[in-house]
Amino acid sequence: MTLLVQSSPRLDRVETEDAVASPRGTRRLAWGGFSVLLDRRSLAANLLLLVLVLAASLAYLCFGERTLSPAEVLAALHGTGDGLSTFLVSALRLPRLGAALATGAAFALAGCLMQTLAANRLATPGIIGIDNGATAFAVASVVGLGFGLAPPAMALAGAATATTLTFGLVLGGGTRGYRFIVAGIGVGAVFGAITNLLLARVAIDVANAAYPWTVGSLSARPEGAVWALTIGLALGLPAALALGRSLSLMGFSVSVARSLGSRLGRRRAQVLITSVALTALAVAVAGPVGMVGLLGPELARHLASRRSVPVLASALAGALIMVLADLVGRLMLSPLEIPVGIVTAVVGGPWLLWILIRPRSQGVA
Amino acid sequence: MIASAAHRRLAGQGMTLAGLLLLACLASLLWGAGDVGAERALAVLMGHGDDEARFVVGTLRGSRTLVGLAVGMALGVAGALLQAVSRNPLAEPGLLGVSAGSAFAVAIALLLGTSAATLRVGVAQLGALLGCLCVLGVARFRGLGHDPVRLVLAGAAFSGLLAALTTLLLLFDQRAADEIRFWVVGSLSGRQLADLLAILPSFAVAAAITLLIARPLAALALGERLAAGLGHHPGRVRLLAILVVALLVGGATAIAGPIAFVGLVVPFAARALAGPDIRRSLWLCLLLGPLMVLVADVISRRVVAPSELPLGVLTALCGAPVLVAVVRRRRLPML
Repeated sequence: MTLLVQSSPRLDRVETEDAVASPRGTRRLAWGGFSVLLDRRSLAANLLLLVLVLAASLAYLCFGERTLSPAEVLAALHGTGDGLSTFLVSALRLPRLGAALATGAAFALAGCLMQTLAANRLATPGIIGIDNGATAFAVASVVGLGFGLAPPAMALAGAATATTLTFGLVLGGGTRGYRFIVAGIGVGAVFGAITNLLLARVAIDVANAAYPWTVGSLSARPEGAVWALTIGLALGLPAALALGRSLSLMGFSVSVARSLGSRLGRRRAQVLITSVALTALAVAVAGPVGMVGLLGPELARHLASRRSVPVLASALAGALIMVLADLVGRLMLSPLEIPVGIVTAVVGGPWLLWILIRPRSQGVA
Repeated sequence: MIASAAHRRLAGQGMTLAGLLLLACLASLLWGAGDVGAERALAVLMGHGDDEARFVVGTLRGSRTLVGLAVGMALGVAGALLQAVSRNPLAEPGLLGVSAGSAFAVAIALLLGTSAATLRVGVAQLGALLGCLCVLGVARFRGLGHDPVRLVLAGAAFSGLLAALTTLLLLFDQRAADEIRFWVVGSLSGRQLADLLAILPSFAVAAAITLLIARPLAALALGERLAAGLGHHPGRVRLLAILVVALLVGGATAIAGPIAFVGLVVPFAARALAGPDIRRSLWLCLLLGPLMVLVADVISRRVVAPSELPLGVLTALCGAPVLVAVVRRRRLPML
């Protein structure tokens, strides 16, 4: 992770008397009036995750109902492969890989931002009902109750509604405790019921077609939604990286963050909007695969340093988890396909339970 | 004198609820998703009416109403007992994973090739028992019992995991999936009298045990030591109550599928009416449970007629706001 060091006070322990000496475990690169503080551990973590994502992507392109060798895949990517492998790679597997990478990164990034904002490790969009809100509204659009809006736009409206409800319900109670989470679960249950209600109203074949999407699947991937997500990610990731310093301050109490010079209200609003928008756009592509929003930041926090909020590492970890989960889902019962939402739920459920029943109460970050 | 006044109030509430329940039963017989309207159904109830209407009202809606009564009673009482045992106002069989446990067990049984209705009841009850012991055991072991909200979170996580595993199992077997798809969302539609007869013996056993442990449970609400001092055995009572919850929830799940939130809303309302003493609130649960299930069922038949809505959707729609309301209170009442 990189931190811009300007004139504002540094939170890290300074080892020597020299005012510009870098804290332990970091390296300072300076040019002109600006300098960049590179955290070695975070840098290593990001590189490791990047390599893993690339390796997983290659495996994703190789394996399927017909297994291709890495050489065949690379040839197909260059356009020099034979017809079948070129078709398999560039027409079938590559678009799906792109969707998996983008949705995974978006879910995990949104999860990381929301956790930091609420100062609550369990407060991922999937758990506090935002995924379900987006799903309910997107399904409404699919079954023709969308006021003429496309699924991504409706998903945005749904995510905003669910967020308003969850945060509104705990107004004054704070977001750090478990009550916030349970209120979110309640909101999520209502929207889940609304999704079922909408599906019950339509013809059975429409409902069956929408079903895998309501549990989270990459097989549908509406074209417009993928483009919307790509644009959202292209705007959201830099925004989140730019917010990195403010994110670190959100872990402190309000007064400490203010006295350290953060415009807390405005930063919070920016973080919330980024997180909700990314969630909604990802849901519009793949349905509610909310567990990635919990698992991605978890993995990133284990690998990266504790000095800052692992924004980039979360996005990489989310993309990695999504690609691996979808690969497993495609291969395990081939030719049958397990929806990726089921795979992540089976993997993430025990992890969530472990967070909750762990001996020392560390459930709340 | 005070006791008799309270008794009189309870009797009054009971009469009112019984009246409402009768109305709900009548509504359940009169309105359906099909084209036998209220007037033709009323003619049948008066003793005349055509064959089709007689079949629809007497056989289809009649057995469905009876099933709704049984399921509602079971879920309401099970919720009250589970809350008393865990001393947690948020403990609900659906939320804590008891229903999900029995649904998972049924899915495994279907996958292994069983199909007999009677076997399904036993399997569902066994799954409910295991799910119940899992959640409450972990809660005691890890001290989650002191934090009602955290126990619900753990239960919800457990429940979600089991639901995902159930879906995964169903992917293996298309036949089982077709058989279970409409069952897994919770519904009363198409349930027959034979299904009900299969679960009645276990409900009778559950009722007998409940009558036995009502007094000790009321004592347990005063605290473990005090209950022991009054001559009760808290451990034994707790185990019996868990057994009853498993019998009731397993039976209800076997016949109607997992239905969440009834066990939360009904005891909540019963306590609001009758006070914290479980010996009183249980009676009201017995009336409020079927009332909620039947009203939800009638609505589920009417809103999207001629098709039907899963019952679990409606109970979630009215139960989730209650959950949020309970959680929002600054001080959660310890039971």
